[in-house]
Amino acid sequence: MRKLVTLLFMGFILAGSLALTSEQARAADPIKVGILLPITGKHAKFGEIEKLSFEMAVAEINKKGGVNGRLIKLIIEDTTGKPDVGRSAAEKLISQDKVVMLGGGYSSSVTAATAGVAINKGFPFLVNTGSADIITQPTAHTPSGKKAAKLKKSLKKEKDKAKIAKIKKEIAAFQARADKEVERILPRFSIFRLNPPVSEYASGLEGFLAEVVKPKTVAILHENSLFGTKGAASFEKSAKRLGIKVLLKEGYDAGAVDFKPLLAKVKSKNPDLVYMVSYILDASLLMNQSMELKMNPKLFAGAAAGFTLPEFKENAGKASEKVVSATLWHQSLPLPGAKEYFDKFRKKYNRDTEYHGAEAYSAAYVIADVLKRAKSHKAKDIRTALAQTDMMTVFGPVKFVSYKQMINQNKLETYVVQWIDGKLRMIWPKNLSKTHYVYPVDWLKERK
Amino acid sequence: MKVKNRRMMTAPLAALLFLLVFPLFVSNDYYLHLMILALMWVMIGSAWNLLAGYTGQVSFGDAAFFGTGAYTAGLLVNHLGWSPWWGIPLGGVTAALLGLPFGWICFRLRGAYFALATLALNEIMRHIATIWESLTDGMVGIMILQTFYAPIDSPIGELSSKTPYYYIILFMAVFSVSTVIWVMNSKLGYYFLSIREDQDAAESLGINTHYYKMISLGIAAALTGLAGGFYMNYMGFIDPETVFSLHDISIMAILVGIVGGVGSVYGPAVGAFIMVMMQEAFRTGGFGLLDAFAEYTGSQFVATSASLITGAHVLGFGVLVVLVIRYMPNGVVGDWSRLMKFILGRFQRQV
Amino acid sequence: MDLFLQTLVSGFLKGGLYALIGMGMTLIMGVMGIINLAHGQIMMVGMYITYSLFALYGVDPYLSLFVSMPAIFVLGVTIQKYLLNPLLRAETILPENQVLMTVGVGMVLTEVMRFIFTSDYKSARTSYSNATFFLGEISFSVPLVIDLFIAIMMTVALFLFLVKTDTGKSIRATAQDKEAASLMGINAERITYITFGLGSALVAAAGTLLMPIFYLFPDIGGPFTRKAFVICVLGGLGSTVGAIFGGITLGLAEAFGATYVAMEFEDMIGLVMFILVLLFLPGGFKRITKI
Repeated sequence: MRKLVTLLFMGFILAGSLALTSEQARAADPIKVGILLPITGKHAKFGEIEKLSFEMAVAEINKKGGVNGRLIKLIIEDTTGKPDVGRSAAEKLISQDKVVMLGGGYSSSVTAATAGVAINKGFPFLVNTGSADIITQPTAHTPSGKKAAKLKKSLKKEKDKAKIAKIKKEIAAFQARADKEVERILPRFSIFRLNPPVSEYASGLEGFLAEVVKPKTVAILHENSLFGTKGAASFEKSAKRLGIKVLLKEGYDAGAVDFKPLLAKVKSKNPDLVYMVSYILDASLLMNQSMELKMNPKLFAGAAAGFTLPEFKENAGKASEKVVSATLWHQSLPLPGAKEYFDKFRKKYNRDTEYHGAEAYSAAYVIADVLKRAKSHKAKDIRTALAQTDMMTVFGPVKFVSYKQMINQNKLETYVVQWIDGKLRMIWPKNLSKTHYVYPVDWLKERK
Repeated sequence: MKVKNRRMMTAPLAALLFLLVFPLFVSNDYYLHLMILALMWVMIGSAWNLLAGYTGQVSFGDAAFFGTGAYTAGLLVNHLGWSPWWGIPLGGVTAALLGLPFGWICFRLRGAYFALATLALNEIMRHIATIWESLTDGMVGIMILQTFYAPIDSPIGELSSKTPYYYIILFMAVFSVSTVIWVMNSKLGYYFLSIREDQDAAESLGINTHYYKMISLGIAAALTGLAGGFYMNYMGFIDPETVFSLHDISIMAILVGIVGGVGSVYGPAVGAFIMVMMQEAFRTGGFGLLDAFAEYTGSQFVATSASLITGAHVLGFGVLVVLVIRYMPNGVVGDWSRLMKFILGRFQRQV
Repeated sequence: MDLFLQTLVSGFLKGGLYALIGMGMTLIMGVMGIINLAHGQIMMVGMYITYSLFALYGVDPYLSLFVSMPAIFVLGVTIQKYLLNPLLRAETILPENQVLMTVGVGMVLTEVMRFIFTSDYKSARTSYSNATFFLGEISFSVPLVIDLFIAIMMTVALFLFLVKTDTGKSIRATAQDKEAASLMGINAERITYITFGLGSALVAAAGTLLMPIFYLFPDIGGPFTRKAFVICVLGGLGSTVGAIFGGITLGLAEAFGATYVAMEFEDMIGLVMFILVLLFLPGGFKRITKI
């Protein structure tokens, strides 16, 4: 027993010290950057696209001489899509591998958990996909901030004026307390986000709906995940803004075999718009089974994620035709390098990429730019350099600003794409799109 | 069950001493993080062992209690604005409050049926946490700020924010193991063992087996709930899929027990360290040693095999689990003498 | 009314597949008395075999039943012979070691498949994958109707096997009383191989039948394992007829839950039914049907 315990720790410490000595920094050594991605697990598909894009971008940067004469070395750690593993990976990258900053972060839950590690140390972390709003909202994490948010919600239902005034006072008090609580962490709030928060994913689609489709009613279906729940909730708000009546809003567990009962229910309510927040295969099954049920609303619309991947078309076949989706990026956008990135990726890896890849590719360039501008590679200087970022990438302009309680958040437009004749085409905003949207659509005819 | 002689006490005391001074010598956050996780699993594993190893009631649903504890802590912050640290004691209470009625209803089931019922409880709790959005925020999860911070921009590896967490969980783990020892040395322990050995015989001796099984479950659930409350405080983020995970919590708890040794006091403690370290070793290719070795030798072969091994880390871990269950069915502690004989035998033959 | 009928049809068709999944599990549970927590993962391996045949040689998923079932039968026999049975002889405190072994086996199977096929989503889209026919306003998925038909045939075949053949009779005898069966000269160990192989082959069949309408990735097994034990307990452990009832009940309950409550309650409904049956009808539908 004793032998075992000693043996165990001896081995453990030996491993640690060996790894440490082998990593004494030398000036000509490459600059190490840690990337957190799901390489295995259920999100591996997206993790892979991002990994390849990161590697492609860094290879290009290094070919051009790297950063101030030093090469960049990516250390990609597998989060397996689980928050606690992601956290171990982040601790390892920072403490053992001694990377200068963190990047990546795919799913919202893993990103939220790893962000905790980064904030604790004030360690710079450039998030490029994790999309939950709270990731860049420090006050939302504090007890008082949460209380204030709860009170704000209750305010909407209240009608009595005296009570409203009282609640408003309370909110102000809690908000002040939250600001105070958050003061402690603000100097170390080191999370920067390249992609828009999930609440804005559908902002481009809103314009399309308001000007072209003008639906009166909507059914919202969403996957039960952070991304799905939040995406559906924020679209519900958009619908209210646009005066669209929400007939039904329902979640489902990813991986369901049969959506027909749910879809039959949607069909019986006969909404103008069916809006879905789903990952790839649920998205394909939903479209396939809606075809089998001969559903014919005015429009099927998806909220990015599953609806823009090439696999969506492969799996949904003709059921994918004319489906519209929000997206964060499209290769036909008039952004410098967007088309080149898409072509290079296809040439190098012999497959298509989409917005997740573009996010990762741009993040790599932002990281290189930041490392170039930073006075030193200490956490503090990299944070400062990140905050001063103002550059153009294939994903759009990158500049970190504060708004809507979010800080260090990049503000971007979102777009609308449509599957036309088996190709994903950008259709909205009109002035940026080369392809005209196809609307109205007779789905029964389309899917014969 | 009584600790028979002093010699049996020396190894655990030496280990405890080592654990007490560990942070004084190691301030690497990553290692402390792994130690904190391992200590947390010591708690969960010991609790599982009390119910399964000593009372013979195998639970496949420890995550139900773990998650309840974690959510108790999170909800106290979210709804009442309390400090999440209240969630540790209260998490133990709520977990026990979940366990007792469940036990009262389900302890009429025996063997595999009881195991299935706990599995279902696990899944039901996960679904409740997902669906009841107005209470739990569903899949959005709960994110809170941590209490302890490293001084900002201190050089990495010099001062650790993890030391307070480390000592808290060390205290909790020691508390759990001591509770198990105390229970098993008390009258309760004899009742538990008699239930495990032969429930019908125990009943015929006039032991109210239903009542004692509930006590065992209550203690186990409370200890697991405490660990859950700590998890919320330490990780700062929970969601239903993480803390009510069948695979990552419930089954892991069983593996910790089985690998270490079922029905031995220190078995789960040893199992917890083995499992946490092994999992991480497989994930990182021997804590990065393989990569370092590949770089050192410059051998392409080593580099490729290193990336292959790291790529298939879950596979390696799975194979290990299969091998341990197949060849050491009583765990490392239970089969320690057999294992030693095997290794020594080999060694002697070589000499 | 259309909505009601559509729900009924969807639930029933899905229930047919569930029955097949449950039947494999119930056989294993009946004879060995263990929960096989690798059941869904074994199905996943069967699906990968079907997928490979489809992707490499263009074999129709229904035809590949003739490959996937025997292959998985062999896999099942191997698992039982070399991994599960040796545990019976070991001196352990808990009999649950076998169950844990199945957990380990499930992990290994998942990861081996991930190693070979990566985590990418695969599917076998055939020309008839989305084929439907309509009775009135009610849509029937052609592959699901074929699946139900095949599932019924397999059930009948299994039933005949268990009732008419010597091996089948031995399996039933072992399930009823292991010791008595070995006293009667039945080689109980051989029976366990065959049972595990048979149970695995049945769930592999279910996986193969799912292939044209569903998709595939290495982690797909877990949820099906959970469904399988719900079905088994509903039907009564060891009862093949019970498994059919259990499967269809679960299919219907899920469908009606999705239509009239909410789809997110789909899994909850099964689990709550499961606990209720465990408590108030221990032995499941077997108690009522007596088969």
